[in-house]
Amino acid sequence: MNELALRAEHLGKLYKIGQTGEHHTTLRDQLMASTRALFRRNGRPHMGSGTLWALREVSFEVKRGELVGIIGHNGAGKSTLLKILSRITRPTTGRAEIWGRIGSLLEVGTGFHSELSGRENLYLSGAILGMPKAEIDRKFDQIVAFAEVEKFIDTPVKHYSSGMYMRLAFAVAAHLDPDILLIDEVLSVGDLAFQRKCLEYAKRLQEGKATVLFVSHNMFAVKALCKRVIYMADGQVQFDGPPENAIQLYEGDSRLSMAPWARGMLDADRSKRPIAITDIEVLDEHGQSRCVFDYGERMRIRLQFDASESVTDPNFNISIFRSDNVPCCNYNTAMDGLSIPSLYGKGMIEVLTPPLKLVAELYAIHVMVWDAKFQQLYSAQMGMTFHVRHHLLSPHFGVFHEAAEWHWDPDEGESFLMHEGHTTTAPQQLS
Amino acid sequence: MPLPSAVLEPSTSLLDLDLKAIWQYRELLYFLVWREVKVRYKQTVLGVAWAVLQPLMTMAIFTVIFGMFVNVPSDGLPYPLFALVALLPWTYFSEAMSRSSVSLVGDAQLIRKVYFPRLIMPLAAVVSPAVDFLLAFILLLAMMAWYGLSPTWGIIMLPGFLLLGLITALAVGLWLSALNVRYRDVRHTVPFLTQCWMYASPVAYPVSVVPEGWRVLYGLNPMAGVIEGFRWALLGKQSPDVGIMMVSVIAVIALLIGGVIFFKHMEQTFADVI
Repeated sequence: MNELALRAEHLGKLYKIGQTGEHHTTLRDQLMASTRALFRRNGRPHMGSGTLWALREVSFEVKRGELVGIIGHNGAGKSTLLKILSRITRPTTGRAEIWGRIGSLLEVGTGFHSELSGRENLYLSGAILGMPKAEIDRKFDQIVAFAEVEKFIDTPVKHYSSGMYMRLAFAVAAHLDPDILLIDEVLSVGDLAFQRKCLEYAKRLQEGKATVLFVSHNMFAVKALCKRVIYMADGQVQFDGPPENAIQLYEGDSRLSMAPWARGMLDADRSKRPIAITDIEVLDEHGQSRCVFDYGERMRIRLQFDASESVTDPNFNISIFRSDNVPCCNYNTAMDGLSIPSLYGKGMIEVLTPPLKLVAELYAIHVMVWDAKFQQLYSAQMGMTFHVRHHLLSPHFGVFHEAAEWHWDPDEGESFLMHEGHTTTAPQQLS
Repeated sequence: MPLPSAVLEPSTSLLDLDLKAIWQYRELLYFLVWREVKVRYKQTVLGVAWAVLQPLMTMAIFTVIFGMFVNVPSDGLPYPLFALVALLPWTYFSEAMSRSSVSLVGDAQLIRKVYFPRLIMPLAAVVSPAVDFLLAFILLLAMMAWYGLSPTWGIIMLPGFLLLGLITALAVGLWLSALNVRYRDVRHTVPFLTQCWMYASPVAYPVSVVPEGWRVLYGLNPMAGVIEGFRWALLGKQSPDVGIMMVSVIAVIALLIGGVIFFKHMEQTFADVI
């Protein structure tokens, strides 16, 4: 099958900075700005420094039935691309053609009104997603059964539990049966279990010959699902091809990027920071490079650093974040009793973790250098990821699992039962 | 290769109405109107009675103040009826205008996440108060029966006048809703605008008190034509001045075309700005 599902040609999107809706410009601001602009005209109103090309010259084609992963760092233009393809916003330049009905899992629960019943919301939400009423009528029972809300279908959704609400919302979106499905895992709400449900749905749709575009930060999911991956950076397509190569590029670029939460706390220019982490290696106990660990294995993390000025009493930190950004654990030199009086120049530091008791998931390593009292941050970098494998433990079991000590004495139990039997007969004897 | 079902590109044409898309989404229009109607009186004690109570209470106040104290002429009609016939289209219009002005901002979540022709939103907002209008209309017919008046044959023109009111509200709503996305000043302006507009419309007084020389200017307000039309169609007052009506209709069409162009222009950045 060689039919196209989607073709993008030289797509570009220009944003005026500050056009993000965070603060609403008032008429007064606008009037003042335009008055100022009158006095310093430069003749190019759209090309000034207050603009940003979120997307530039993006061209690609997707055939029917393909499952394409889109990866890239925050701000690489992935979400903007999906917004254009789902027609929420228009491109500034270029054009895209689409063959078929587009659905996206961004939209789960949009248009729900808390005062309306499940039944009413189902119709409303279906209509918003573009389903004709006849189609909703036909799929009604199926959707309700899928959401498992049969008993409450005529109750206002404000009385629903959040789980029921999500199930119903997802059930509507999942029955849209789009020809092209767009998933932005980064933005989609919901816990890991819900995200899994979305992926299963995507897979099922694709087996039914639908086309899927899948934006994700989860390289394992991308590798497992996609045969083709588009890697984006700075609003442009950097690579389009086999997932291994795309992920390699992505990881190469992301290896030592600044942790997003540290923006504003650190100088954006790495060379201006007192200490920089120049390499992070993830190894097994014996020093072999690895990215998948079995539950209970120990892990070696080796850091290369370069201190451009003398740093006294540095505190090296390694934090492990689950892929849904839950901080799981932290190892740091100050608390683990390693004191480093001062550092200057290049060097290496390594930690051997205790046996990993984290549940099976994808984790990211953030490396930070603080002072001993956690007052000043010298460096914060991230990028390496690893996976923990276990046949049973998942985030349903919590963040980590550690064996506990149980105590059960069969003899005590029996004596207790006998004792009870004895006491119940005792009053009879007395009477 | 079949034709693509959608082409996404920067909008170039000025008046790109895309009526086909609106037609495709007509069921969404229906559901949005239905949602408005359904949700409007939820968790109220009086419920849908509000639709009737509001014009009724305003009529009572007008009758006492303008009919009795100020003694405003009512062209020989009983003042309560004279006022109510005007209050019905006026209440409809002011509701339609204020609901449509917040229609986009009130559903920002939808705009940010789902595609549909955005024009549907102000459109649904001007259609939904028509349900309230119909309920209040029953009250009006009852009042007319009480006064022993029966509608003239002109009643067949009534839908036309209502439609003129609807289009006026839509035209204004297109401007206001699109402006509101970018400038939240609109929210503060609308109540004031509504008040001014009511004084400029023959709700509490007849057009006959407006000096001759002002009539054409007065006719620029389409609601003047709508309200006069209602009085004529229902109470058999002298027929509205054809000249004034023509000015009204032309004013509405100009406002509507401008509104559509402006809305379509702003629409491209709604999702980015809202």
